[in-house]
Amino acid sequence: MNSSRRHFLQAGGAASLAAVAIGCDKIQVPEMLLPGRRATAPPDGPYATPAGKDIDLVSQALNRLTFGARPWDYQRTRKLGTTEEAAFAAFLDQQLAPEKIDDPNCENATRRFELLNEPLGELFEYQEKHLLDALVRSTVLRAVFTERQLYEVMVNFWSDHFNIDPSKGDAKWLKVADDRDVIRAHALGKFPAMLRASALSPAMLWYLDGRVNKKANDVDKPNENYARELLELHTLGVHGGYSQKDVMEVARCLTGWGVQEVGRSKLNLGSVEFKPLQHDRGEKVVLGHVIPRIPKQAKPEEIEKLGRAELDTVLGIIGLHPSTAKFIATKLCQRFIADAPPAAAVSGVAEKFIVSGGDIPATLRALFATDAFLTTRGNKLKRPFHYIVSTLRATHATTDAGPTIQDYLLRMGHAPFHYPTPDGYPEEAAPWLGTLLWRWNFAVALTKNELGNATKLDAAKLRASFATEENQMAHLLGRAPSADEITACKESGAPLALLLASPSFQKC
Amino acid sequence: MSTQTSLTGKGDNLKTLVVVFLRGGADGLNMVAPAHDDGYYRARPRIAIKDRDTNAAKLDGSFILNPILKDLAAPYHDGALAVVHAVGSEDATRSHFEAQDLMERAGDVAGGWLGRYLRFRGATTTGALSAIAVSRALPESLRGAPAATVMRSLEDFTLGKGGGLLQASLEKLYAKEHDALGASARDTLAALSRIEKLSKTTYSPAHGASYERDDFSQGIKQVARLIKARVGLEAVSLDIGGWDSHITQSAVMDPQMRKLNAGLSAFYRDMGKTGMAHVTVVVMTEFGRRLAENSAFGTDHGRGSVMFLMGGGVKGGRVMAKWPGLTKDVLEGPGDLPVTINYRDVLAPILQRHSPQVDLAKVFPAFELKPQAIYG
Repeated sequence: MNSSRRHFLQAGGAASLAAVAIGCDKIQVPEMLLPGRRATAPPDGPYATPAGKDIDLVSQALNRLTFGARPWDYQRTRKLGTTEEAAFAAFLDQQLAPEKIDDPNCENATRRFELLNEPLGELFEYQEKHLLDALVRSTVLRAVFTERQLYEVMVNFWSDHFNIDPSKGDAKWLKVADDRDVIRAHALGKFPAMLRASALSPAMLWYLDGRVNKKANDVDKPNENYARELLELHTLGVHGGYSQKDVMEVARCLTGWGVQEVGRSKLNLGSVEFKPLQHDRGEKVVLGHVIPRIPKQAKPEEIEKLGRAELDTVLGIIGLHPSTAKFIATKLCQRFIADAPPAAAVSGVAEKFIVSGGDIPATLRALFATDAFLTTRGNKLKRPFHYIVSTLRATHATTDAGPTIQDYLLRMGHAPFHYPTPDGYPEEAAPWLGTLLWRWNFAVALTKNELGNATKLDAAKLRASFATEENQMAHLLGRAPSADEITACKESGAPLALLLASPSFQKC
Repeated sequence: MSTQTSLTGKGDNLKTLVVVFLRGGADGLNMVAPAHDDGYYRARPRIAIKDRDTNAAKLDGSFILNPILKDLAAPYHDGALAVVHAVGSEDATRSHFEAQDLMERAGDVAGGWLGRYLRFRGATTTGALSAIAVSRALPESLRGAPAATVMRSLEDFTLGKGGGLLQASLEKLYAKEHDALGASARDTLAALSRIEKLSKTTYSPAHGASYERDDFSQGIKQVARLIKARVGLEAVSLDIGGWDSHITQSAVMDPQMRKLNAGLSAFYRDMGKTGMAHVTVVVMTEFGRRLAENSAFGTDHGRGSVMFLMGGGVKGGRVMAKWPGLTKDVLEGPGDLPVTINYRDVLAPILQRHSPQVDLAKVFPAFELKPQAIYG
């Protein structure tokens, strides 16, 4: 099917739905069919809320392992164990086995983005702006609605770690497959497998020029763009003990990999191929490991086999290297503990990363068991994406993640899939401190229902989810409110907006 | 604590870049006309700017200024305004959308050049009001900025109707925060208060400057106010649309030139010599127009056009051009003034002047910069 027809069908679908909604106001359109979505609330309210004056372990878990607590999350999570510790352990077990969690709200909210499931070649039939919009919206909607929260948090983490700017070349189409087949397929899997998938992701081959890294003749100079970022950003880290020579040698090992691209072929668009004649057959030395020359008399199929294998040899050298372990552990600890995490936590997590063979759930378990994680609470600034999603979750709002939401994310410089360089959005607080005005404006707009028809909250319903006003405050703050907060709420004339704009709600 | 400097930590040293985008493809050849080039008069017998029957300011013996832009002659002769000619981008589609997109993004890369500049300019933090677009939506150029504000007027800087109580309550809560977040909140609140005060008072432009009533003049007036109020403004984007002069060129273009002339000259006067030292104004457009006029007294989409650079230490009083001539053999494609200077090479030195630590390779990726000597 050609793309214009498909777009017509999509547009037609949306238009006829609108006609139903506008033209026949007596017909009740099922909520499921409307663009805005709301998670189904469990029936056992009013919900219990945290009672302590400090953030307890359950709220800590909801702050860090999820994109923020919904009105019922604290009660539901707390009930998983007789003690806070037991509840946290049970919650962690659940979250680390996302495939066992039913997720109907999320499935309903993202069903219309079925184009994201298209096979590689089919993606090229869509206009790139539709793909980007679908990616951004489904990413926001998943974060808001999924029960598999830790999985989604890790998707967010790895999307930055293996950042691809989909503006570049065929990545406009291929990032969809990268998000699905690299990031989402391995977010709670094994790091070496994710690394390999990323190395052979057609979008990555485009973004970091791997597709033009070749040695077809004596004058060809390998393109070292991907090799450098592979070592610097994906594995060892900038001070991870490699040299410029290592970068060159890795680039040579990876010569010959390419992508079927638009304009050159109509067959197998986007599929990755290895071209033995473009592979550098000389000897290489990577971090001291010698990769022998491919003999001159080798047959083509032999060259292909040996050439392909060099990718795995390189990834084998760096995938579980101590520097990689330290680098990944540092980034995970920055995400889950503090911008400057204690060295002891990092080294413990790094060790687990190595002994588990880069098993991400095992590594996370080690992290969540550190003293630093258990005791460092309420200190991390939510990045704007986390902030927006957490306000929608906390207030049980409907949303379609449409233009008004994306507009705020753009203004705050944190729209998914909009970061230009391969290092991904920064994790630490400093670059995001200029976004407060927009957070406050968002809090005001959301609580006044000024974000369009598809993003709305029902303040009365929300209030009815809790026995008292102070319970509602405790839900939003993850702890009992302070006297100052209670006073400020009363004086503000807009208690809900004030809490969403308050210092504590900016943090997690 | 003096909030005058706390907002940026840079006080008076903070520089502001004001980018004015002329949307629709502005005809550089009729804004700054090559009076020395017969090719110009031959190709435009009816619409050329004629030296003899106008008060056209002679800029440098070669180029003359369109009489409607007459008030730009003052900054030019003060040495504060420079013209760059036969400038533009590598985009040869002559499509408004493609050309604007490329120019604002500056490459096959996420975000716009202004947004990436703010992110990679070598500062660790960004103020709440560091980047402003005076428009209805965030322009492509500002996408990817760490924080960008879209405004029509100062009144947009509030926390909504009745936001005063909310603001007071936020002030109390954030006063107890002693970390960077608290500091940033106090800066933001101070900026809000200052703007609130501004919007309650009538603004009196300095040095007898007076702004016209059109959107552009009113917009750049707000920019002048914000710069003077030192709210930490580092980058501003404004637009003037309506330059697509396919028919009866003067009817289409003259009103837009009047806006540009009035707005820029009022701003120049208002800021004064001292003020302009800290502000660089850049005027640019996605492409110029065909050399030859068409049968409808208009011009079609072309390639090279002009940029105006004003203030910020730019060495003015000159037209910077690698003038290619207008003979058949040099014209590009259907007969267009070629682009002899890439716009990035004009912007790069300005960004470096404003932020010496800027990582220009990230702002203008995949482009070999040959920065123009705009500071002399």
